[in-house]
Amino acid sequence: MRVVVVGYGMVGSRLVEELVARCPDADVTVLGAEPHQPYNRVLLGELVAGRVDEDSLALPAADGRVAVRRGVAAVAIDRAARTVTCDDGAVVPYDALVLATGARARVPELPGLHPSPLGVHPLRTLADARSVADAVTTSVRAVVLGGGVLGLEVACALTERGMDAAVVHAGPHLMDRQLDAAASEALEHGLRRLGIAVRTGRPPAAVLARGGRVSGLRFPDGDELPTDLLVLATGTVPEVGLAAAAGLAVGRGIVVDGDGATSDPHVYAVGDCAQPAEGSSGLVAQGWEQARRLAEVLARGAAAVPRPRTVDAGAATDVVRLKAHGLEVVTMGLTGAATTAGKHRSVRLSDPSTGRHVEVVVAGGAVVGATCVGAGPVAADLTAAYTRRTPVPADPAHLLLRPVRGAGPEPEPSVTLMPDRATVCRCNGVTKGELVRAWGDGARTPADVARATRATTGCGGCTDAVCGLLDWLAGGEGDRVPAGVGALAEAAG
Amino acid sequence: MSGSPPTSTAADATATLSTVTAPTAVRGSSVDTHCPYCALQCAMTLTPATDVAAPPVTVAGRPFPTSRGGLCQKGWTSAEVLRAPDRLTSPLLRGADGKQHPVTWDQALDHVADRVRALQDAHGRDAVAVFGGGGLTNEKAYLLGKFARVVLRTPFIDYNGRFCMASAAAGANRALGVDRGLPFPLSDVGGAQAVLLLGSNLAETMPPATAHLAAARAAGGLVVVDPRHTATAALTDGGQGVHLQPVPGTDLVVLLALLHVLWAEGLVDAGYLEQRVTGADEVRRNVALWWPERAEQVCGVPAVDLRRTARLLAAAAPVHGGRGLVVLTGRGVEQSTQGTATVTAAINLALALGLPGRPSSGYGAVTGQGNGQGGREHGQKADQLPGYRRIDDPAARAHVAAVWGVDPDELPGPGVPAVELLRRCGRPGGPRALLVHGSNLLVSAPDADRVRERLQALDLLVVCDVVPSETALLADVVLPVTQWAEEEGTTTSLEGRVLRRRRALEAPDGVRSELEVLHQLAARLGVPDGFPTDPAQVFDELARASAGGVADYSGLSHARLDADADALHWPCPAGPQGTPAHPGTPRLFSDGFPTADGRARMVAVDHHGPADDLRADAPVYLVTGRVLQHYQSGAQTHRVPALEAAQPEPYVELHPLLAHRIGVDDGDLVEVSSARGTALLTAHVTPRTRPEVVFVPFHWSGQGSANRLTVDATDPVSGMPEFKVCAVDVRPAPVRDGVAPVGAVPAGAR
Repeated sequence: MRVVVVGYGMVGSRLVEELVARCPDADVTVLGAEPHQPYNRVLLGELVAGRVDEDSLALPAADGRVAVRRGVAAVAIDRAARTVTCDDGAVVPYDALVLATGARARVPELPGLHPSPLGVHPLRTLADARSVADAVTTSVRAVVLGGGVLGLEVACALTERGMDAAVVHAGPHLMDRQLDAAASEALEHGLRRLGIAVRTGRPPAAVLARGGRVSGLRFPDGDELPTDLLVLATGTVPEVGLAAAAGLAVGRGIVVDGDGATSDPHVYAVGDCAQPAEGSSGLVAQGWEQARRLAEVLARGAAAVPRPRTVDAGAATDVVRLKAHGLEVVTMGLTGAATTAGKHRSVRLSDPSTGRHVEVVVAGGAVVGATCVGAGPVAADLTAAYTRRTPVPADPAHLLLRPVRGAGPEPEPSVTLMPDRATVCRCNGVTKGELVRAWGDGARTPADVARATRATTGCGGCTDAVCGLLDWLAGGEGDRVPAGVGALAEAAG
Repeated sequence: MSGSPPTSTAADATATLSTVTAPTAVRGSSVDTHCPYCALQCAMTLTPATDVAAPPVTVAGRPFPTSRGGLCQKGWTSAEVLRAPDRLTSPLLRGADGKQHPVTWDQALDHVADRVRALQDAHGRDAVAVFGGGGLTNEKAYLLGKFARVVLRTPFIDYNGRFCMASAAAGANRALGVDRGLPFPLSDVGGAQAVLLLGSNLAETMPPATAHLAAARAAGGLVVVDPRHTATAALTDGGQGVHLQPVPGTDLVVLLALLHVLWAEGLVDAGYLEQRVTGADEVRRNVALWWPERAEQVCGVPAVDLRRTARLLAAAAPVHGGRGLVVLTGRGVEQSTQGTATVTAAINLALALGLPGRPSSGYGAVTGQGNGQGGREHGQKADQLPGYRRIDDPAARAHVAAVWGVDPDELPGPGVPAVELLRRCGRPGGPRALLVHGSNLLVSAPDADRVRERLQALDLLVVCDVVPSETALLADVVLPVTQWAEEEGTTTSLEGRVLRRRRALEAPDGVRSELEVLHQLAARLGVPDGFPTDPAQVFDELARASAGGVADYSGLSHARLDADADALHWPCPAGPQGTPAHPGTPRLFSDGFPTADGRARMVAVDHHGPADDLRADAPVYLVTGRVLQHYQSGAQTHRVPALEAAQPEPYVELHPLLAHRIGVDDGDLVEVSSARGTALLTAHVTPRTRPEVVFVPFHWSGQGSANRLTVDATDPVSGMPEFKVCAVDVRPAPVRDGVAPVGAVPAGAR
């Protein structure tokens, strides 16, 4: 089976890995327009923040059996002949063609952006990230256009690099794809604490430039926001040009079915360029899940194995997790306006002035959605419950908080205050009562107690507690202890 | 060897035994030896008791570098097992009536030999298999492997260490070129600034060892990775360290994320990687995919905690001026279908920080069974010959065959790992007979109900044991053997230190050593020579067979070990005559790794998750493990009244939220069921576990048996079963006629 993969990003490379693992004999060719090895695009924000270097973004190299042609772009598909023509003139035949061409940054239709002045950068590719990171050294003020996940991550990253950053968001509130107004308010508090200014609800009217360099944004009311750096985080546009030119069905993305097949059964699409029935989230987890399923479909085809009757539900791939230091936002499943549709039980803890908002949506005894802003470890717990579909507690409100320290596992109380049945020496199962009885029988030193009860003779961790107890007993309390008949015999057991 | 004490089902078999004669001490004075239980092998002195009402010897802790004179409750009470009321003192043979009856040793051995011969004549040599144990002395383990290869000439031998150490062994061998649990003395842990403990509950399983964590705790550097807030995890409380509480089966993800952070933040020891390691680039690319926020979604540990922990660990590494970092793995992460991968990731982390071979630093596996280390070196593994040699290596075969006086071509090839061996028992083409030594499969192997079916399908099951364990009760022939304080020999502790086990009292009449059993059987099967019954003589042959191997004992003998009070770590090769004796090797890797190129090998691994993952009708993870008072399947500890009093019954630990949801209170009886079986257990409600996780200790058989629930899926590299995670449902136990079911604890053992 000859498989040609167009696009060598996070999803394309994962598809190749999954396919080779299942189908070691497949003849796989990868065409990657970018000259470098595939890299971890999810961490570009970390690169901008200076927390990681470029080497940390390198993804695993392809198996030696795979022909990887880097810096070679596909320019045309001949579906009738089942060939792909490359920009170096090569024509590559296929039995199955996989389009993993991804998406490009969307540049909004704003006066002053076409063409863009210097100092305006999208953040989509490694080259973009390098440009933004370089700009940090020459700029003081930054504006991020777009208050979605990427925009907020970039704003936090630039703040971490010492810049004075602001977020401008045209929508009604930050992350409006995922959050409702209350959750967003908590998020805004969190951003302000980090020193990031937020302007929502009004799109800018124009991008201003001076001497060919960006100088600020102007709003419809004439208000101006000066800046030295403008980062565009205003969404993406699927790369569908090749597919459209080949006559494949294309909407916003390349239209695919549940297996990833396009309108041509020999051509598939995965990742950000694809448009499945459930919509594209832009999350890498969704693309990876598509890659896994497509690898199975292709492997089955190669082995002529019939398709299983039950469709693999797969893992939940819609967990959105902001990667920004000092700002915690995690959403999954039903969130925002979707939770108030009334069909589901929704329990929330809203504490916006401290930057906290937690909401959990429950249906059928399971978590079907959650929103966590500034929720600490609760977010990790809810993610585990959501992705594994574990049953919710009888009262879902328990999901909103972790018990505070002390309300959970008991801290060791002082040995003088603990009840007689409490174990002091774990290694030998010696209770406080047995120690007190040993004292009553004449044990006065730790060595005496050890002989009588074996307390302290395991790991020795209770030695301080035993000494403390002996001091306390020597202080007069021991007088009330009855002679411990049988304590020795018990301990010697 | 293990199992619950005699239950009512055992009564038929044991009622016919004469009462045990009081054991008598062999010497008037004290004997220095080591504890019969775990791999820490705490040093103890046994003194003949004067009080007839007391056990035959008195136990006292003895100063030693590992146990520092300490013993846990199991060790202190270990002498009770010497006077177990149901001690086996006569061979038993299953009669036409289906019951086991006492017979003479000659009758029993003749029967075994005749049946073995007949089965091999009819079905070929492979029709007989051997199952060993990690509790056997080095001498027994060695001779058992030799017996399988030279007398039975079967490839089918494996042992219960496959359930404990196989993944750590496979990971360490592949990466470091050698598998010695701790490649440094345990006391080195005491010098470390930080200790990363993955899937090990030391405070329950080898309590005296926790004393070595004191310095790390004082520095806030103890990091415990465990789904439960165990007694060991509690040692991190109060600023003494960090407890990471991942979802079961995702420890590997924790490690991948820690490695991601180390590389991303430039914290790795680049010079060490450059000079001493291969494969680092591939591993780096591999962990690039496990940024902490992604890892959090899989393992449930907050990304911020993963980052903080990675920095804490890095700060302790010598390359950053720290006093040392020790990375330790235990069964919690190893008993998994990705156990070898997890061990590999732990070693990758240790190598990335330049730990192996540096002071107070390195990677180690905390060995479990008493001779879990020695038990995996001398040839009772399916793919192995003595000296930790590979059975498919022609040079190894030639060397060992020469010591054994046989043609190398006559030695069988590799067999199959334990779980696969058990699956084949009694099936067409599989073994028809199984000889079991030092193992209670019925309680300790995964998917216990299936194991019972396989053992019952055999034509011949022979069990050597001290007490009527569950497996012994199923046997066609039971051979009563010596235990711990009744025999001489050696064990090799978790740090590769070879220790002397010494005899303190005479075995009861009717009991023979396993060395004698093997000698007698070999003679009946046509090999009269080569199976000595003197342990010192066996050791000398073991030493010769190991010479030049990875685990080289050739410079050791019982006499030399007797002369050196603190014992010696292998490798300890014999030198040319006239040269000073080799001092042993407490620390490995200071000069290089015993690999082809002298470098350690990093191997990229990835996470796939448990074989039996959660689903709608099994929405809770089951984790199994140990409690302080019991050991393995409990053949010994269930016979100690003080231990039974402290831990009288099997139980299930569940979170208050889970208990509340299903309507269960502390102390209620709970039914835990998996796709394989059901167990009835007493509820222990505690917030120490995660809400979606229950814990069941595996020391019991019968209704409370954890291994009726566990899955027999195995690690693809090591063949180790996934004891530590499977999917279960938990609900209140159905009430039957108002009578609550009880655990498998007989009144007689209390």
